[in-house]
Amino acid sequence: METVGFGLGLRHEHYEEILAAPGKVAWFEALSENYMIAGGQPLHWLDTFRRDYPMALHGVSLSIGSIDPLDERYLGDLEKLIDRVEPLWVSDHLCFTGLRGINMHDLLPLPYTEEALDHVAERVMRVQDRLRRRLVLENVSSYVTYAASELTEWEFIANLCKRADCEVLLDVNNVYVSAFNHEFDPVDFLRGIPRERVRQFHLAGHTNNGTHIIDTHDHPIIGGVWDLYAEAVRLFPGTPTMIERDANIPPYAELLAELDVARGIAERVMREPAREAAE
Amino acid sequence: MTRTNTGSLADLQRAFQDYVLVSQQGFTTAVRDTSKADRITLLEVYRDGYALRLIEVLTNDFPGVVAMTGPEEFDTVARTYIAAHPSRHPSVRWFGKGFADFLATTPGDATPAVAEMAHFEWALGEAFDSVDVEPLQAATVMTVAPEAWETISFTPLPSLRRLSFAHDVPPSWQRREEVEPGTLEAGPLAAPVPWVIWRPERVSNFRSLEPDEAAMLEAMIDGQPFPALCEALLRHVEEDQAAARAAGLLRSWVEEGLIASFSH
Repeated sequence: METVGFGLGLRHEHYEEILAAPGKVAWFEALSENYMIAGGQPLHWLDTFRRDYPMALHGVSLSIGSIDPLDERYLGDLEKLIDRVEPLWVSDHLCFTGLRGINMHDLLPLPYTEEALDHVAERVMRVQDRLRRRLVLENVSSYVTYAASELTEWEFIANLCKRADCEVLLDVNNVYVSAFNHEFDPVDFLRGIPRERVRQFHLAGHTNNGTHIIDTHDHPIIGGVWDLYAEAVRLFPGTPTMIERDANIPPYAELLAELDVARGIAERVMREPAREAAE
Repeated sequence: MTRTNTGSLADLQRAFQDYVLVSQQGFTTAVRDTSKADRITLLEVYRDGYALRLIEVLTNDFPGVVAMTGPEEFDTVARTYIAAHPSRHPSVRWFGKGFADFLATTPGDATPAVAEMAHFEWALGEAFDSVDVEPLQAATVMTVAPEAWETISFTPLPSLRRLSFAHDVPPSWQRREEVEPGTLEAGPLAAPVPWVIWRPERVSNFRSLEPDEAAMLEAMIDGQPFPALCEALLRHVEEDQAAARAAGLLRSWVEEGLIASFSH
């Protein structure tokens, strides 16, 4: 079982509050691109917190599924950051973020086809060889289903893990959002992911437009996502958990309280009779 | 390993990107309706999100410009910039790099004062996360042998930026949060005023420069030796005062932490 525990995303809005209330989280997740810079305050704060907390690096621009060549300069910058942070693990998203040299700064979904699987698996292996570590890839929230898709998203991820020997950042909110948008059972998704491959959980809030949900990371986590989280803990016990908040960012204490909810659910699940009987 | 043909994956990705960037319509047949929403509604999530995300980046990077233009005009200008300058960097940190020049050169979109504000804010941003270098200490300068002053040259901090404004931009920028959005003004000046931005430690500084100081600073940035720095002052001060003025300016630059190192 993992012992990393419960963490939060490192956000500049909280720097002073983290200093004032040390030791409230077990680890932080830092957004890689925010720290791929030459110097100044962001790197000062990164180094300060890294001295006191384990950290994971989470990127948004690897564009592992793009048909553009891998961005070697980006990978070089990521390597330098990895050397600086010595992270718990390095994650990015299972998506493409643009092509023809353009970055859309969005996590665009891939078609779940054998062709895409071949393409992504080969690139994951190349990145892993370069970074000398397993890559942890996150399932994204998506809003469209491709007519061309031949596999479910979870079949695609499971096959990718097997082919490329990579790991999964299971974003429970994204499973919930995509299940609503594409009308599948989110528990089918969870059950389709190989148990030993899940390295980390994400939790977040979203915006429900009625006909579709948008992954906005600007609200507290809703009940349905907490329920799905409980199921995820049953299936992947002990997986490190963190909450992402990227907009409408509340005080640090408020996110700590939300993290306590996650802790409480995980502890409750671990005490469930069926689990105790099994262990 | 045999590489597979990425033809249809490539076609799909190109069509998706073109749909978001240039409203190419053919892509809509590649995605499905759901029982709750039609495919156009769902695709619009990506198109709306693309513009809104980048507008937010520009809004955060150029609060002084927003204070001058107001959010509505800023939104219009930002959308024109986004259409003309798609991001080509992995980090949104760099998306606004061309915004000031765009404002200065795109007719009808902004006044010269607004473009100067954008230049100022971008330079502040560059100073914010430039390479960290410990400023030169006065005690180190004191160790320079007298004969070395004939050839000594100085290197400014990597964060140092020299700017010149025909409008009262930096003082106006300091009022950006005190005014109603859209009402901030930077009035025209009788003559352009030189400014310097630099970050000696973690906090950026900026201040205006006297004309003679600006001339000497330019010469220092060019890597010219100390005698040439004195010469740069001659258009502004008497010849017999140049060396003393140069020494005085140099001392203040060292004290303020503008200088990184020297060589001779």
